[in-house]
Amino acid sequence: MPRIPERLAYGLLGFLVVLPLWEAVVRLGVVKRVTLSAPSLILEAAWEDLFVNGILWPHIFQSSQQFFLGLGLALITGVPLGLALGLFRRLNYFLDPWLSAIYATPTIALVPLIVLILGLGIESKIFIVWLEAIFVIVVTTMVGVHAAEARYLDLAKSFRASRWFTFRSVILPSSFPYILTALRLGVTRSLVGVVVAEFFAANRGLGFFINFSGTTLRTDRVMLGVILLGLLGVVLGEGIRRIERRYEKWRPEFN
Amino acid sequence: MDKGLALQARDVRMEYVDQATGDRLLAIDRVDIDITEGEFVSIVGPSGCGKSTFLKIVNGLFPATAGTIEIRQSAKGVAHAMVFQDSSLFPWYTIIDNVAYGLVCQGVPKKDAQRRAQPLIDLVSLTGFESKFPYQLSGGMQQRANLARALTVDPEILLMDEPFAALDAQTRELMQAELLRIWNEASKTVLFITHQIDEAIYLSDRVLVMSARPGRILADITIDLPRPRQLEIKRTPEFIAYADQIWGLIAKQLKPHIHDKAAHPGGEAVA
Repeated sequence: MPRIPERLAYGLLGFLVVLPLWEAVVRLGVVKRVTLSAPSLILEAAWEDLFVNGILWPHIFQSSQQFFLGLGLALITGVPLGLALGLFRRLNYFLDPWLSAIYATPTIALVPLIVLILGLGIESKIFIVWLEAIFVIVVTTMVGVHAAEARYLDLAKSFRASRWFTFRSVILPSSFPYILTALRLGVTRSLVGVVVAEFFAANRGLGFFINFSGTTLRTDRVMLGVILLGLLGVVLGEGIRRIERRYEKWRPEFN
Repeated sequence: MDKGLALQARDVRMEYVDQATGDRLLAIDRVDIDITEGEFVSIVGPSGCGKSTFLKIVNGLFPATAGTIEIRQSAKGVAHAMVFQDSSLFPWYTIIDNVAYGLVCQGVPKKDAQRRAQPLIDLVSLTGFESKFPYQLSGGMQQRANLARALTVDPEILLMDEPFAALDAQTRELMQAELLRIWNEASKTVLFITHQIDEAIYLSDRVLVMSARPGRILADITIDLPRPRQLEIKRTPEFIAYADQIWGLIAKQLKPHIHDKAAHPGGEAVA
């Protein structure tokens, strides 16, 4: 008999204990169906909305589009900005008050303003996702630049490496693990951004679907939307972990 | 600079400001050193005496407060290359790319640099490990690669900053013998920093003893032992006599040094 890894075995056991318990609590009427749906009902809703009437697909498509465009833009702008802030002390001093202030502000408070400026279309949603994701990417990348060890920088200096080559051969590889962390954090923040953007002034997307289902007392659909977002987060997180393993073969723990 | 010299240091002085206390501290003072071409010279001294600081000044990592250091510059190769104390191999490069690094810094195309690095990899007995990453090598092998990297740029003078300090005692002994073999084949001028007296005597033509801070050259001792030297030489009476002489000089420095440290907590030398 093949041995099931302990981690997986207990993980599955967790599901096998919690899901029936949840189901029982709802079926026995301890909690009303309308406040907390049951696993079987959520599964039923998933089947219906995905494969029978298919109403979920446009929402999924819309959210994915906003997610990937927003996150992509946040990476394209955030990583170079983070590198620049890490490399140039004075630029850092110059921008730091602004970054800190905007970082400390809850993005959600800016949504009415963003909608006012960018309108109700996809632009405002992409901007909200971008805004949610960029700061964590900038800050983590900047920390990565500062993580370049003095002994490696001394070595490059000792060999009279040019500034550009020092950047390429020492600073960029040193900060690479941080950039991947930035990406992973960016994924989480972008998902938040998508939901925030779609809670307000949207007529499509998973955030809208959850919000609308809530106001029409369809708890099963609310839970379905939440689970889909969670799944997206898990799948993307695992994808990034795979990239990390592939590109950091020099790190002993992955071999 | 006088003819036949590889390095000439005159009246080198290094002051720095202690970040914690704001005091101005004198790390090294009035250091004069001449090194003849092809010579193996070691500097020993109590820890914190500024010997590493001096080496880093020679390497150009930071400027001296006063004094001059001249290094012979030939048409081929570079003036100097450094072998650092800890293995400073880049973990993200393979061994061959690490060894070729100095050449790539000079603008040599990667393929050419790798081709020119190969003989040095062979010299330090790392043939077959070219495509390994540093973490896959033992500490001794990492320091061999480190040495090969410094030799690849064909430096006029090889600077070594306690390169075997992190190795275990047995590996260190073997690496000392290995270094003499390589020095013999590559025929380089070497300036070697260590706090291990027996290491300095075994390797060197001359041992310079540095005082406690501010570091000054206290004694210049010519090691008149025949070459090639086997590790067994460390047990001969002549060797032990040198060790006693140097230890006597350093021991006299230790007491005031401990006192000095107590008076300036946190006053370690730069870097």
